[in-house]
Amino acid sequence: MFRNYLKIAWRNLMRHKGYSAINIAGLTVGIAACLLIYIVVQYETSFNKQNKNYRNIYHIVTQSVQGNDVSYTPGITVPAVPALRTDLPEATIAAMDVSYGSQITIPAGSGHADKKFIEHSGVVFIEPQYFDLFDSEWIAGNKAVLAEPNMVVIDKSTAIKYFGDWQHAEGKFLKMDNLIDLKIAGVIEDVVSNSDFPFKVLVSYVTLKNYPNNYNYSDEWGSNSSNHQVMLLMPPGESIESVNARLKVFSKKHYTFDIRGTFNFLQPLSDLHFDTRFGNTTGDHITSKATLFTLSFIGVLIIIMASINFINLTTAQSVGRSKEVGIRKVLGSSRKQLVFQLLGETTMIVVTSGFLALIVAKLALPYLENISSVPKTMGLLSAGSVLFLISTLISVVVLSGIYPALILSGFKPVLAIKNKITAASIGGVPLRRGLVVAQFAISQLLIIGTLVALNQMNFVNSADLGFNSSAVLVIPGYTDSLSLQKMGQFKQQQLQKPQVKSVSFISDAPSSDNNWASNFYFDQAPDDVDFTVFLKAGDADYFKTFGLQFVAGGGYAPSDTINQMVVNETLIKKLGIKNPKAALGKTLRIGGRGVWAPIVGVVKDFKTNSLREEVKPIIIAPGKRVLSLAAIKIQTGSLTQTVAEIQKLWEKTYPEYAYNGYFVDERIAQFYKQENQLALIYKLFAGVAIFISCLGLYGLVSFMAVQRTKEVGIRKVLGASVGSIVYLFSKEFLILLSISFLIAMPIGWYMMNGWLQSFVYRIDLGAGVFLAAILLSVFIAGLTFGYKAITTALVNPIKSLRSE
Amino acid sequence: MIKITDLEKFYRTEEVETIALNKLSMEINTGEFVAIMGPSGCGKSTLLNILGMLDDPDGGSYMFNGAEIAHFTERKRANLRKHNLGFVFQSFNLIDELTVFENVELPLIYTKVPAKERLSRVEAVLEKMQIMHRRNHYPQQLSGGQQQRVAIARAVVNNPKLILADEPTGNLDSSNGNDVMELLTDLNEQGTTIIMVTHSEHDARYSHRIIRLLDGQTVLENILI
Repeated sequence: MFRNYLKIAWRNLMRHKGYSAINIAGLTVGIAACLLIYIVVQYETSFNKQNKNYRNIYHIVTQSVQGNDVSYTPGITVPAVPALRTDLPEATIAAMDVSYGSQITIPAGSGHADKKFIEHSGVVFIEPQYFDLFDSEWIAGNKAVLAEPNMVVIDKSTAIKYFGDWQHAEGKFLKMDNLIDLKIAGVIEDVVSNSDFPFKVLVSYVTLKNYPNNYNYSDEWGSNSSNHQVMLLMPPGESIESVNARLKVFSKKHYTFDIRGTFNFLQPLSDLHFDTRFGNTTGDHITSKATLFTLSFIGVLIIIMASINFINLTTAQSVGRSKEVGIRKVLGSSRKQLVFQLLGETTMIVVTSGFLALIVAKLALPYLENISSVPKTMGLLSAGSVLFLISTLISVVVLSGIYPALILSGFKPVLAIKNKITAASIGGVPLRRGLVVAQFAISQLLIIGTLVALNQMNFVNSADLGFNSSAVLVIPGYTDSLSLQKMGQFKQQQLQKPQVKSVSFISDAPSSDNNWASNFYFDQAPDDVDFTVFLKAGDADYFKTFGLQFVAGGGYAPSDTINQMVVNETLIKKLGIKNPKAALGKTLRIGGRGVWAPIVGVVKDFKTNSLREEVKPIIIAPGKRVLSLAAIKIQTGSLTQTVAEIQKLWEKTYPEYAYNGYFVDERIAQFYKQENQLALIYKLFAGVAIFISCLGLYGLVSFMAVQRTKEVGIRKVLGASVGSIVYLFSKEFLILLSISFLIAMPIGWYMMNGWLQSFVYRIDLGAGVFLAAILLSVFIAGLTFGYKAITTALVNPIKSLRSE
Repeated sequence: MIKITDLEKFYRTEEVETIALNKLSMEINTGEFVAIMGPSGCGKSTLLNILGMLDDPDGGSYMFNGAEIAHFTERKRANLRKHNLGFVFQSFNLIDELTVFENVELPLIYTKVPAKERLSRVEAVLEKMQIMHRRNHYPQQLSGGQQQRVAIARAVVNNPKLILADEPTGNLDSSNGNDVMELLTDLNEQGTTIIMVTHSEHDARYSHRIIRLLDGQTVLENILI
């Protein structure tokens, strides 16, 4: 019997090739999209789970409350580490200090050039206890080596990168940041990609103490760097609440010096990958759960749409199959047998689509890294993805197969064998309309999402930042005394080039995701001001290089130390000064140990961070010691050539450093990586949804055209125009489209308005977006059914009547 | 074999009620060949559908082999049908997606006959109907006469006690029509009861008895033998 079912299912597929192709294409694309979404979601939710202590590892983080400002940092102060060991004796504590960009030099021996590598991530000063928390496989050496100063452990790939093979790496030397000589004392296996601790160069933590100035290492309770982080392993059974209560007592005891409202608390390892309150993580990226939810939601919508296509086409087609069903019933088939037969056919189509979807997903997988952080090397098939595929296929069979099977198997045999079943008599027309409305609504929802996301990202990407970020090349350098000495010479040589307009040594571009914050004092007052100020240092050419505009006063004179300051409008507004000119001459002091210096200029507000955040109160001041970046404004035009020349000069001036320049505007675009990805995801999946719903619509219209051939013939004989016939076909769909818009609009508004709230600077969600969405969907639907409607209307009526 | 008493069937639309069968009574014995005749709309097909257990009567009694069918559930009727009845239609009603062999095999599948036995029985009946050489063809590839042979083969493959034929020659030319009538006569001579609805006096003469209907009632019975 089963063979018989398969046979007839196959022949039915072949007989109605068009409809089968539509069903299979829709399901294939839908299932493939879902599979890819699953892979992304699964990848993101798998982070850090490979560690056997996953449930008991915590990150100690810091919350600071100053006035109305609540800020979070993943960092913790240096003296807190031994204090925590005393106050939480049962915990295993591991401190680390992350470097976000270091140069590693491999000495080549005499007569050869040293090999230089820039490592943007994965370089860390770390305590050996780290390996009591996290699992790691040692190929050479052991964790004890990290208790000694000037020792480094590297991972296998890095060993191969530096030395050609990992077997001979142990015992060799490398130099970090042209500063620290390190001996390779161990090699570990590479960390898996789904880890937030992708360390590859692990330097012993004790080494850090010898270079406090170069790595902002301070043993004061008042100084907290986000690079200095602490992980902790609690014995099983210890509740997070009780530890947090103890940390509260700990914080009150230790954070007494000039810092108000600073508390440490535990962030479970299971939250670390999703906690967007903390910017600087040790890993490559973090993902908000909202994004993962949106993605999963889109996946579910797409599967529903593909299933709707299937239901619509199958029930519409069922009229044509009524005779077969009637005969089978007459010959003794029970309803149950028919239901199984029809479900078997559905299964066949769905399984075929499943296989095709695997192929499509396999082809699309390498491109997944453009819309997500999934690595290129990610495999398609895993126990999880196979299970997911199977359960998706089963749900699709149930979702899309049951209803048509019940309808078809319910035909009365007497009517069925005499071809007296019509589209109207099988009922389900309201249901089919409902399904079409649902499908249109989903498409429109995704169109609205796409339009809003694209508009906002367009707004963000082209927003006026308040300074000129284009064609400014930034080259990270170092602040060792030799480098600082060469500054003036390098600057003068660059300025001789006609294409170079301006050069400035700076600590930070006007707009960046670095935050260097401090408390500060104003106008000789004994107490500090109740909000935090953010600092940027630069030489006197900072303002010219970035095109900052002054509303009062001007830039400061060249100086190696802080003797004058420039502030932004936000700062003086927050201080209650209305007229910028009134601020000139007033004095400021940064931190408890700083010097008083007068304000000499007020710059117009520029965007200090990403557009998600408000403009921050800013002080710009000279201070040669921290100017580690060279910013070079280049005349647009021969950019590539000029950059090459600048690089050449850089390498000549600083032979011990690798060149690592980038353009400021490129770096600013990086702020919105996640949002741009989300916009891309919307665009992509809206495309998929539109494709699937168009397929369904085309199928339905084709079916209607066949059904109504006779009606069209009669109408034409009676004098109907082509236009009126096209109208006949379009009317119903236009009504359905309007109903679906009424559903999609408020949901779309609610969802996208929520998303826009994450930006301080955002577009207005006006009627335009919604109008565009409905016009676009009418246009696409019109294209889809217009062709079919017109060709049907153009058929010679004699032909259509005769064929009846 | 069959006894119907005061059988009634109405068709209702919102405004009109049509009486298809009006307190119709008749008896058909095992081994008989009965023709039912009458003008269009007299209730012939309705009667055949009810006798074939494809439709329910609205009133009266229908006894089949001593059992009252009117109260049977859909499933019970389907069961009775597949073991006892064979159908032959004017429009053949073969399944287009199945070959000749597969069409004839279908009733055996529904009565759960093992595959090996199905093969031998289908082949035997195709031989008998002289259509064996077409066993792997699809219905659309056959002439009308050949299609009706297949339909008859399918109707008899399960050795039913009763064959219901609804204008079996209606779509055939006279030569093919005569062949079909000969086949039905042979089957009847081998013991199968046959009830045939027809418009053709010529075909009706193959039967033992002609029942003429008008407005859902018997108006005349001709005994031919």
